[in-house]
Amino acid sequence: MSGFAPAGDPVIPDYGQASDCVINNGFFCTDWFASQWSTVFWPPLVDHIYMVLIAVVVGFLIAFTAALIAYRKKWLAGPIGVAATFLYTLPPLALFQLLVPFTGLTLLTVEIALVCFTLVIIFQAVLAGLAAVPDDVKRSAVGMGLDTKQLMLKVELPLALPSIISGLRIATVLTVSVATIAAFVVDSGLGSPILKAVSSPFNTQFIAAGALAVLLAFVLDGLLVLIGRILTPWTRVRI
Amino acid sequence: MTESATTTMPATSTARSTRNSSIVFDNVTKTYPGQTAHALDSLSIEVRSGELVCLVGPSGGGKTTALQLVNRLVDLSSGEIRIGDTNIMDLSPIELRRTIGYAIQQSGLFPHYTVAENIATVPTILKWDRKRIEARTKELLELVGLTPVENWLKRYPGQLSGGQQQRVGIARALAADPPVMLMDEPFGALDPITRVAVQDEFLDIHRAVGKTTLFVTHDIDEAIKMADRIAILKPGGLLAQYDTPAEVLARPADDFVAEFLGAERGLKRLALTTVAEVLAAGRDRRGSSPVAAAAGSTEAGNPVSAAEWPEVSATMTLREALSLVSAAHAQGARVMDAGSHLGDVTLHELICPPADDPARTTEGARI
Ligand SMILES: Nc1ncnc2c1ncn2[C@@H]1O[C@H](COP(=O)(O)OP(=O)(O)O)[C@@H](O)[C@H]1O
Ligand SMILES: [Mg+2]
Repeated sequence: MSGFAPAGDPVIPDYGQASDCVINNGFFCTDWFASQWSTVFWPPLVDHIYMVLIAVVVGFLIAFTAALIAYRKKWLAGPIGVAATFLYTLPPLALFQLLVPFTGLTLLTVEIALVCFTLVIIFQAVLAGLAAVPDDVKRSAVGMGLDTKQLMLKVELPLALPSIISGLRIATVLTVSVATIAAFVVDSGLGSPILKAVSSPFNTQFIAAGALAVLLAFVLDGLLVLIGRILTPWTRVRI
Repeated sequence: MTESATTTMPATSTARSTRNSSIVFDNVTKTYPGQTAHALDSLSIEVRSGELVCLVGPSGGGKTTALQLVNRLVDLSSGEIRIGDTNIMDLSPIELRRTIGYAIQQSGLFPHYTVAENIATVPTILKWDRKRIEARTKELLELVGLTPVENWLKRYPGQLSGGQQQRVGIARALAADPPVMLMDEPFGALDPITRVAVQDEFLDIHRAVGKTTLFVTHDIDEAIKMADRIAILKPGGLLAQYDTPAEVLARPADDFVAEFLGAERGLKRLALTTVAEVLAAGRDRRGSSPVAAAAGSTEAGNPVSAAEWPEVSATMTLREALSLVSAAHAQGARVMDAGSHLGDVTLHELICPPADDPARTTEGARI
């Protein structure tokens, strides 16, 4: 946990013999990337994954609960939606500024801001999924004697799953990207090698970190697609 | 051992119920909140145990409302509904619904459940054991003609045709062996050919299991074909007539019913009698000379002689037979059954079936 806007350590390592690529500050120096992987890239990547997972999981729990409440008490759907949208529209950097006096330059500050960002997406996705459950399916379920809880667990939630998963995908990809600015608050995540590289002219560091963030977004998105496929086998069958 | 014997023999559960499972509407009125007109107005009818009653009428006539009052998807405004001797308000809605089979248009199947899981819905929430559910599911798929059952169990509704979905919907409604079935235009979305096939199967099932059935349809032909009795509702939820198909067709209670039955009312009536019945009645009348009717063919310069009359099968309705006779420009038809000639029926017999004549039906009943 170093200070706000950490000043870079020497970015271009001066030990060993630098390759031509490094000396000429080439677009991307594979050899340097490989040699720095375990110190400059791997730890921030792991931090980044944690940061994103915590934000998405906490955001999901809050937004999902809020969506269930809004689904039961329709009059709450509007106000909750507006509140969530408000949090979404706050610029994350401004939110950091707002939070730092209370929660300090900590991971908590970052997570609060990230969670705020995911809420509206997940909330709307859950609500839209529940609203899209066909009326005749609900009517036959209730008509057969399912109670409210059984209707929710056996029918409404499973059928809302495709929509919930798409919401999670968007929220996750977005969080991977937004989490890079967490480096303004804590020296953690893929944002910090990027931020450090900004203060030096060395290309490979921020290109590699940026590419890792993009890759991470793709991988997490792919994982969610896979989970969705496993959880919703009926959506893939066609005669 | 005893335990497994009872759970693997679910066939007995589809046996005709001897309990009283009539559905009685006693002066039932429903007005939806914020509406001045009644959706259903003082309806009093009884669907007797084992009877299949069709509720017909124009769209907005209150058919669906009447049905949903029974399983309490809609709350009564006034009046009383009883199933057997139990007032439906004496049970919790959940308890009540689990004793009523419910099938609706578009089947209402759960798209995320396989066929087997769909059928097992109510048995599962009733916590039947797995073996019993499995056996019951297979038995029901056989009953609705989806065989071999192994081919169907694991499919999703999205992999079935409309007719197959409706069959599964019926199986699901029958799953926990409810004494009473409510069906809301279950075949309404099917193409005509599939509809006829599913209607025939459902009639067979109904005869086999004898559930008290209230069946909503806007299709009067479906009602005539299926119903023991027809209840006709008019706009405003008023009962216009409640009687057997033959009576309704022969003596519509008022202009609304006559108009609802349509200009082909006379022809529709012919769909209630089979050629075999006319043949039998004709034999009674003429002694046992089946070809005596051929005399009719010499009238009016008829171009087709009795020997060339079109062949009809004994199980055809008079309406179908008449259609063939008309197409062949004949004065009658030869009745065939599995290649053998049972006798002939004349045009006159086809259009004036014996069932029309009250004197003869009573006479027939006495014999
Ligand atoms: N949930 C409801 N709220 C208000 N009015 C309703 C509702 N359901 C049905 N109605 C009205 O009640 C009348 C009867 O409708 P319904 O029972 O659905 O008729 P049907 O099934 O014969 O077409 C119609 O005028 C309809 O608009
Ligand atoms: Mg209706």
